[in-house]
Amino acid sequence: MSAPLLDVRDLVVTFPTRRSEVTVVDRLSFSLESGEIAGIVGESGAGKSTAVLAMLGLVRHGGRIAGGEVLFDGRDLLSLPREELRHVRGSQIAMITQNPRQSLHPMLKIGRQISTAYRSHNQATRPEGMRKAVSMLEMVGINDAERRVTAFPHELSGGMAQRTLIAMALSSGPRLLVADEPTSGLDVTIQAQVLDEMWDTVQETGSAVLIVTQDLGIIANYCDRVLVVEKGRNIEDAPTRKFFRAPEQDYSRRILSLQRQEKLPEPEESHGSEQPLISVQGLGKEYILEGGEVLTAVSGADFEIYRGRTLGVVGESGSGKTTVGMTLLRLTEPTTGGVLVDAEPIGEIPLSAFRNYRSRLQVVFQDPFDALNPRWSVHRLLREPLDLHTKLTAADKRERIGEIMDMIGLPRTLGAVTTRQLSAGQQQRVSIGRALITDPDFVVLDEPTSALPPAARAEIITLLAELQRKLGIAYLYISHDLTTVEYLCHDVAVMYLSQIVEHGTRSQVFEDPQHPYSRALLASHLFQDPDQRRIDREIRETLTGEIPSPVDLPTGCYLASRCPEAVPECRERPQTLETLPDGRKIRCWRITEGDLVW
Amino acid sequence: MTARQEHPAAAQRNILLWVGLAIVATSLLLAVFGEVLSPYSPVMPTGNISTPPSAQHWFGTDATGLDIFSRVISAPRTDVTIALAAAGLSLVAGSLIGLVAGFYRGSLSELIMRVSDVIQSFPVFILAMILVALSGRSTFNLVLALAFLYTPIFIRLTRAEVLSQRSRTYVQSARAIGASELRISFRHVLPNSLAPALIQASVVIGWGILLTAGLSFIGAGVRPPTPEWGLMISKGANSIILGEWWPSVFPGLAISLTVFGFAAVGNALERAYR
Amino acid sequence: MVAFLQLLGITVAVFFLIRVLPADPVARLVGFNASDEVYNQAEASLGLNQPLMKQFGLYFGFFPSEQTGLLQGDLGRSWVTNENVLDEIIRFFPVTLELITISFIVATLLALPLGMFSAIRPNGLVDRGVFVYGLMAGAQPEFWWGLLFIYVFFVVLGWAPAPLGQLGPLTEAPETVTGFLTIDSLIAGNWEVFVEALTHLWLPVMTLVLILSGPIIKMIRQNMLRVLESDFILYANSAGLPARTIAAYTFRAAFAPALTLVGILYGFMLGGAVLVEKVFSLGGLGQYSVRSILQFDYPAIQGVVLVITAFSLLIYLALDVFHAWMDPRIRT
Repeated sequence: MSAPLLDVRDLVVTFPTRRSEVTVVDRLSFSLESGEIAGIVGESGAGKSTAVLAMLGLVRHGGRIAGGEVLFDGRDLLSLPREELRHVRGSQIAMITQNPRQSLHPMLKIGRQISTAYRSHNQATRPEGMRKAVSMLEMVGINDAERRVTAFPHELSGGMAQRTLIAMALSSGPRLLVADEPTSGLDVTIQAQVLDEMWDTVQETGSAVLIVTQDLGIIANYCDRVLVVEKGRNIEDAPTRKFFRAPEQDYSRRILSLQRQEKLPEPEESHGSEQPLISVQGLGKEYILEGGEVLTAVSGADFEIYRGRTLGVVGESGSGKTTVGMTLLRLTEPTTGGVLVDAEPIGEIPLSAFRNYRSRLQVVFQDPFDALNPRWSVHRLLREPLDLHTKLTAADKRERIGEIMDMIGLPRTLGAVTTRQLSAGQQQRVSIGRALITDPDFVVLDEPTSALPPAARAEIITLLAELQRKLGIAYLYISHDLTTVEYLCHDVAVMYLSQIVEHGTRSQVFEDPQHPYSRALLASHLFQDPDQRRIDREIRETLTGEIPSPVDLPTGCYLASRCPEAVPECRERPQTLETLPDGRKIRCWRITEGDLVW
Repeated sequence: MTARQEHPAAAQRNILLWVGLAIVATSLLLAVFGEVLSPYSPVMPTGNISTPPSAQHWFGTDATGLDIFSRVISAPRTDVTIALAAAGLSLVAGSLIGLVAGFYRGSLSELIMRVSDVIQSFPVFILAMILVALSGRSTFNLVLALAFLYTPIFIRLTRAEVLSQRSRTYVQSARAIGASELRISFRHVLPNSLAPALIQASVVIGWGILLTAGLSFIGAGVRPPTPEWGLMISKGANSIILGEWWPSVFPGLAISLTVFGFAAVGNALERAYR
Repeated sequence: MVAFLQLLGITVAVFFLIRVLPADPVARLVGFNASDEVYNQAEASLGLNQPLMKQFGLYFGFFPSEQTGLLQGDLGRSWVTNENVLDEIIRFFPVTLELITISFIVATLLALPLGMFSAIRPNGLVDRGVFVYGLMAGAQPEFWWGLLFIYVFFVVLGWAPAPLGQLGPLTEAPETVTGFLTIDSLIAGNWEVFVEALTHLWLPVMTLVLILSGPIIKMIRQNMLRVLESDFILYANSAGLPARTIAAYTFRAAFAPALTLVGILYGFMLGGAVLVEKVFSLGGLGQYSVRSILQFDYPAIQGVVLVITAFSLLIYLALDVFHAWMDPRIRT
């Protein structure tokens, strides 16, 4: 067997701290064959990014490579002379990073940056470099590349910037592409576009790829092999299918726990005569921007939530799903429409009196560290709702706090610590405890897992499901992560650009989506299942182009500019949410009038 | 694992912190006990005129026969007290105004920031001269003038922090559990927004000492014969050309060290906070 | 526009501020023992017997038939010297500007390599030295350092001339063209006076450089460090760009913000060199403002405030234009 393309042996990287040194990458070893696509997964802070940088002989300012070898094509990069190593970077091994916009020089045009990178490794004149820049931008699917080369980085969207980086990285035809969380800031439909472009391009150039990610969906869909890194060490190295079927390490089993569980049973359909707990009618929210423009965040939202059930709201960033949640809680006031709780219109209660009402309607936010006062102990954080809403004695409060801590799976001994000393998962448990301590009927879960590392993500979802079963709370679960939605929700509403476009039961939406946007969203979502890889599909359904601005919304269907099924009439005709015979609601005239059948 | 060897830069910073703390503590002690400890009266001539440092007069005497050592250690009662009072006043006023300006945005907050901008954009020393000279050269007026000049610093620092804290989710979270706006601003936002102002306070005390001395040096500060470092330097300036260095060098050294001490403590606090 | 409003705001605020404060400029002029008659006569001649708003209108030149004011470009007459305030300021201003400009150039030239080097090797020997120095120089009694330098370089070593002004007592100043002694002497072709002016300047310049270079080094270091730690420099390295290109990338990104900060400091120094001017008996704007403030010379105080504010606003404006030219993100 021939020597591997890349062979990393006992790599060690350290960073100085105030007092001593901390070892971030600790004797990491692995190898990569030519043309292979491998993924590295692990918690944030596990040293993944530092490790891949070190493979290029680089460390962030301050750190140092303390040991090991990086054999590339049999040569140890770490002992190469500086100038030779520089040439390997960019021409043999290229990189794309997780903050594409910050990775481009803010004051230089992107064409010039690509050209400079190309000309650093190839004999070329300035005009040749510029022509190369244009052709590379075209290759990664940027329309209008001739004009785009004169753009500054701050004028690009995240997806555009990442494509620019890919164009720059591949311009010298490297044999290895290192992608460090390449799509972590992008929306799912854009993520799918970017990853597809990358995948197609490396298929053409034959480069090997090393993807660093926390998203198991990316691993399942694009990688041949998985490396699991924990605390700077490589703890598991397995082919993707084997990894998902039979993970060896305890940590791997933890991050895969959701996949390995049964889905929640679908509740019986008839909530017939039962009164809905929450009823939302014609809810709309507009913001007036500086300059008088109107930004529509939510328009015409209607839905109901029943006791003990979960409604999932899915959609990309800017679709208005968080605003829906915040308006339900009156954390922002709606522009039109209103919310009934147990048939009582809460919008009519004066805001000062509504404060007392808040014990019934609670919320868990996305980033637990940000959502908890950093100076307060866990005990004090959990006591605040009791201080505000109950007249319990101090002893009773302590008792109640103890109960809640047991319920959320937090050792009572942690009552005295501040949140800084807790892990992200534990912090989110405190947030959940704070929401549940006043026995609410309804909780808005606003992306409660997206700031968490993979293992904590699975644990929090399991906990939420268990609490619902025990306490009969209703949830509004807002998320862009369809994997968790599928596990937790009974009903699902899909939002696009301020509107609900499809609303039905979980199985209706997940197994047989009708609206073109729902179909594209589901097709773009990278499910954590290596047997249904996106890249193996004959037609990879996706949307083209970028999401229009919510400031200047079209008169007709909002999706018309990106929809593969759009006909001229779609652009003029305003769309309404209509009920289909199977009970679900759709905002697409072609579907509801039977003009389009899948 | 790696050896727990302290980095030389960290060691240096630690030394600086301790030196700073020692200086600050000394200056505070002298502000209280300086006059009691001084061997001679700081305002009564000793009869020995312009004598160089000796066993009898450690730092020598000045042109009117005052003992310089006694005056140098008595001066913190004026310099440090004025600076402390001014920094304290402006810290309290500035952080409260900053909280209001940051938490409740509106035309009032806009006006507050404009006024602070105007005050801050003008050279401190000249404004201080105008304020003190025209309102009368008393300790009280000095404190007020300095406090007025330094308040915008704290307004700005606190407001910036309040603005960033206000957009954090824990504020929304407190609102969501039913806390009132008053409770949110004072219980949640203010305690989380004070750190930058508190850190700056140490540095501002140093500036206050410097400004008090500078104003007195130029004849716009406290009146002679109060023992005060700036006044002493001013008095000694006339004789330095004659080669008599001691009347101005010792008080200057005292200012230099004290200000450095407060700056070092402020810097250490800042590093610890970040 | 905002700058102009700010200028107007300061001028108005200072006008009322000095009249609200409990100083008595009339008594200062005629003496505390003057008879009521003399006092009232003096008060009337200064216009202080008029209602406040009338005084305000007169100063701003709303009644040009009675008295010209700001609108007519007249800053009024000094109550002490009876000279035109604008003429006086034009005489004093270049002295200060010359002093601070030379000091800034020297300080920046000194700070640039030190700041850059300490950013390239954080916690290195240079960085640690610079750190202590910056901590110290950030706030120091510059008037005392000036005296110390006088003692060492004039009294003990005799390297510097007596600190009694811009030139020796026997030297005749060249014809005033720009007001800057160094430039005027060169225009006059008088080499000796040029050298003499420099020998009188180097001690005050050194004093200011000592104070100024601390913060300037810190600004350069911080900006360099921010860029060096940035993602785009890391990325440029990962793309294998040559060291020369990376240095150019770094400099390009760090230069504009650092220069802006230095410029703000420069605008601030016009009123900040007061004490150094005093120590070295340089008759600059600082000396002029001390004199007017201590003598309650209201028109002169207002003139100084106006000029200093206008000057710093002009600098901010220039910096904004420069920054926008350097950085496309600000342009839009």
